[in-house]
Amino acid sequence: MSTSVTFEKATRIYPGSEKPAVDGLDLEIAEGEFLVLVGPSGCGKSTSLRMLAGLEDVTSGRILIGDRDITHLRPKDRDIAMVFQNYALYPHMSVGENMGFALKIAGVNKSDIDARVLEAAKILDLEPYLDRKPKALSGGQRQRVAMGRAIVRQPQVFCMDEPLSNLDAKLRVSTRTQIASLQRRLDTTTVYVTHDQVEAMTMGDRVAVLKDGLLQQVDTPLGLYDKPKNAFVAGFIGSPAMNLGTFCVEDGHALIGEARVPLPRSTVGALKGDKVQLGFRPEALVLSSADDAASFPVEALVIEELGSDAFLYGNMIGDDLRADHVVARIAPRSVPAKGAKVWFSIEPGRLHAFDVESGDALPTD
Amino acid sequence: MRKSFDKHWYAWAMVLPTVAVLGVLVLAPLVQGVYQSFTDLNESNQRSEICKKTLGGGETCSPNPKASQFVGLDNYVDVLTGAQGHFWLQFTNTIVWTVACVVFHYGIGLGLAVMLNRSFRGRGFYRVALIVPWAVPAFVAAFAWRFLFDENFGLINATLRALGGSGVSWFDDRWTSLSTAIVANIWLGVPFMMVAILGGLQSIPGDLYEAAEMDGATPWQRFRNVTLPGLRPVSSTVILLGTIWTFNMFPIIYFVTRGQPAGETEILVTGAFRAAFEGIRDYSLAATYGVLILSILIVYASIYRRVLKTQGEVF
Amino acid sequence: MSSITPPVIVETDEMIAGATAKDRRAPRVRRRSDRSVGASVALHATLLLATFIALFPMAWVVLSSFKPASEIRRSDIQFVVDPTLENYRKVLFDTNFPTWFLNSLVVAAFTMVIGIAMAATAGYALSRFNFPGKRGLMWVFLITQMFPVAILIVPIYTIMAKAGLIDTKASLVIAYCTVAVPFCAWMLRGYFDTIPKELDEAAALDGLGPFGTFWRVILPLARPGLAVTAFYTFLTAWGEVAYAIAFMQSDDHYTLGAGLQQFVPQFSPRWELLTAGAVLITIPAAIVFFFAQKHLVAGLTAGGTKG
Repeated sequence: MSTSVTFEKATRIYPGSEKPAVDGLDLEIAEGEFLVLVGPSGCGKSTSLRMLAGLEDVTSGRILIGDRDITHLRPKDRDIAMVFQNYALYPHMSVGENMGFALKIAGVNKSDIDARVLEAAKILDLEPYLDRKPKALSGGQRQRVAMGRAIVRQPQVFCMDEPLSNLDAKLRVSTRTQIASLQRRLDTTTVYVTHDQVEAMTMGDRVAVLKDGLLQQVDTPLGLYDKPKNAFVAGFIGSPAMNLGTFCVEDGHALIGEARVPLPRSTVGALKGDKVQLGFRPEALVLSSADDAASFPVEALVIEELGSDAFLYGNMIGDDLRADHVVARIAPRSVPAKGAKVWFSIEPGRLHAFDVESGDALPTD
Repeated sequence: MRKSFDKHWYAWAMVLPTVAVLGVLVLAPLVQGVYQSFTDLNESNQRSEICKKTLGGGETCSPNPKASQFVGLDNYVDVLTGAQGHFWLQFTNTIVWTVACVVFHYGIGLGLAVMLNRSFRGRGFYRVALIVPWAVPAFVAAFAWRFLFDENFGLINATLRALGGSGVSWFDDRWTSLSTAIVANIWLGVPFMMVAILGGLQSIPGDLYEAAEMDGATPWQRFRNVTLPGLRPVSSTVILLGTIWTFNMFPIIYFVTRGQPAGETEILVTGAFRAAFEGIRDYSLAATYGVLILSILIVYASIYRRVLKTQGEVF
Repeated sequence: MSSITPPVIVETDEMIAGATAKDRRAPRVRRRSDRSVGASVALHATLLLATFIALFPMAWVVLSSFKPASEIRRSDIQFVVDPTLENYRKVLFDTNFPTWFLNSLVVAAFTMVIGIAMAATAGYALSRFNFPGKRGLMWVFLITQMFPVAILIVPIYTIMAKAGLIDTKASLVIAYCTVAVPFCAWMLRGYFDTIPKELDEAAALDGLGPFGTFWRVILPLARPGLAVTAFYTFLTAWGEVAYAIAFMQSDDHYTLGAGLQQFVPQFSPRWELLTAGAVLITIPAAIVFFFAQKHLVAGLTAGGTKG
């Protein structure tokens, strides 16, 4: 049933615009995979999904489902189901009619439609609502009907365009896990669009990060987190975001405030010029003391106490030219006072380095 | 081209019925109307052939020696120099009529809408009662006002007399006569403006008023700085529509003043109609009027749009 | 001042002035929605006056329609004198009024049906698709709204005369369609714009083509908009005068717009018949109107602002 999806140099240029909305997208999605497209607004993630669904023309390149070239097929001939951001339920049809509409148009006989609608309704706990109109349902229920409409089709591919963004925060978290587990159970190839990197990290088998219509990196969530290919991905993935800053390099050491942080030899070797962009995640900072030559002082401005964790937001001290913001994860329940001067050093091996010009990752081993 | 057809054929198929209707019913007559304005077509010369019954029951036809012919710009010269018809009189009437009606429509409509936009008891009643004139067909309203303004037994003169004054012969003077029509049309047109502006008022977010209030704006300042700018999109549309509708408003003048006294209160539209269908029917004169009226309106609409555009607003 | 008055936001300047010494002695909590008595009286007085002006012309016509002919011609003000249904009886049984009424009904109904049927798909295409020629068509619609009666009436008259259609209902329906079709397309486009585009996309994925989407998804949802547009088209035809007077020539072919003036010729007008006729014409129009009015303006101005 399930099958792979391939984008080959797929490009979309909107009429009247020079710049492609999606620029030469190359992406292979395996059978049964849950792939998340993520990026800031305007990055082309929704356009990519809509190209796959057939709602957007493909200017050049190809899109394949399995071995089938579907680039110029009409949406209905692609065997794809989609969940829309605002659900797009037909207001004049009952929940059951909404879910069975595609089958009705395909000419499936009535008893088969009913059976499949009922089965989907059972999976999604929608049985009591089958005769209601969408406007009589809550937001969460409507979202499930939209899911149900997709499931009933038993399509080769699910497309989901920010399906959780109209739910409140709590419901979003629980629905997130429901969708993920449902997808595992149905084993249907799924392409999921979101701007929320937490959703991307928690749901996807793999995550594709886009920016300005260009694919930045595709990897497993952990792969993206640990080995970002460039500074954009490094800053986009993870919450709170990675600390990123540009520093001078002297004798193989980066000058961070008063500290001299040694750089791996491979990094120094790959440097062009005497500056480097460094990144370190909040949890890569460890409390240290002024004695350590590789540690730098931070003035604590805000402490966020979350119970399980605590985060310290502060400014680096000592560099006259800049007052860089720094976020550090610290042990909860025994936090420094606001305004205190705290010394941090970077845990060895958890430093990321990027080229100042291109933003591409430099080797760090 | 081929690809464009594949992609757009259904859109074109969907507009086809409308385009066909417009082509046959609007474009063709329009072209003919423009052509007629360059001829001397009238009731007596409209046939291109004269046919006579023969004894055998057939017909013989010969070209009409007096058939209408092409006269170039003669009609326009005649109309604009006043050699034929009373173009400039009617033009002045039309401008006075349109400006007066639209100003009062908008002003009264705005005032009533602002009042109805507050919440108070009885608001629903007022809202329904105040749109009643809109529900009355225009020609019925015209007769009703003609009835009210009747010199001898009209309610308005009766009231004047009851108050100790004397009745006015409304239709004996150009300006009193025109003002009866203006009053009738204001009565008829205010509800549309009121409802449209009310819709515009309700689309202004309430928190803008709250923000202005927090900033210490007085009610008048709130009206100037929140209400009026918020109404601009609606206002620009309804004023344009209102102007065009009033300019072309036929039944009120036709039935209320009937052109009295002696055609002095005709506007362009009724003037053209009378030229075409009363007395000796002068079709070419009416067509010339029609072309001139349409030109005036198109010029007005494009200037209007351009002014709005320079103020940063395109509708 | 600030130490005495409770922290209440005051509505208007007049209210501050109105907060007299008496109020200060016994501070009363004033809720935001409260309005001073003077403002309330002024508001209601203005609205009552406006309501009176809005209602009285037709009310006077209604009152007069129940008066005997002789009483209508009296020059002093009498509201009710010898109420009688005689005028209505005369209008309904001694004149051609019922025929005119029926003619108007037929003409308006046909105009309405043809207008909607011809324009509905065009309204949808204009709302949803970008196709070559769209802008031009929008302009044509806008300009046809500006057409004065005067520019089309003569050519259409001469065409109808050639086709032998003068003095038939068909000629009026055709003439009215010149306005009704573009108007319906314009209005319906406005209503279709309010239906989310995602529904079309969902329908496309569910297997419907553009025509199927229009028929099975959009039309059922646009029913209120269709109804309002239809009603308004009906009313426009119901109240049209110029074409009716120009085209219809025999008494039993008149529609109401052309016929009613027969009651009030220049000399010896019969206002008693006219008032009764006016009431009978207005009642159905008003009923239709009040069904439609709620959604009407939204459509008119939405179509306009997005053009």
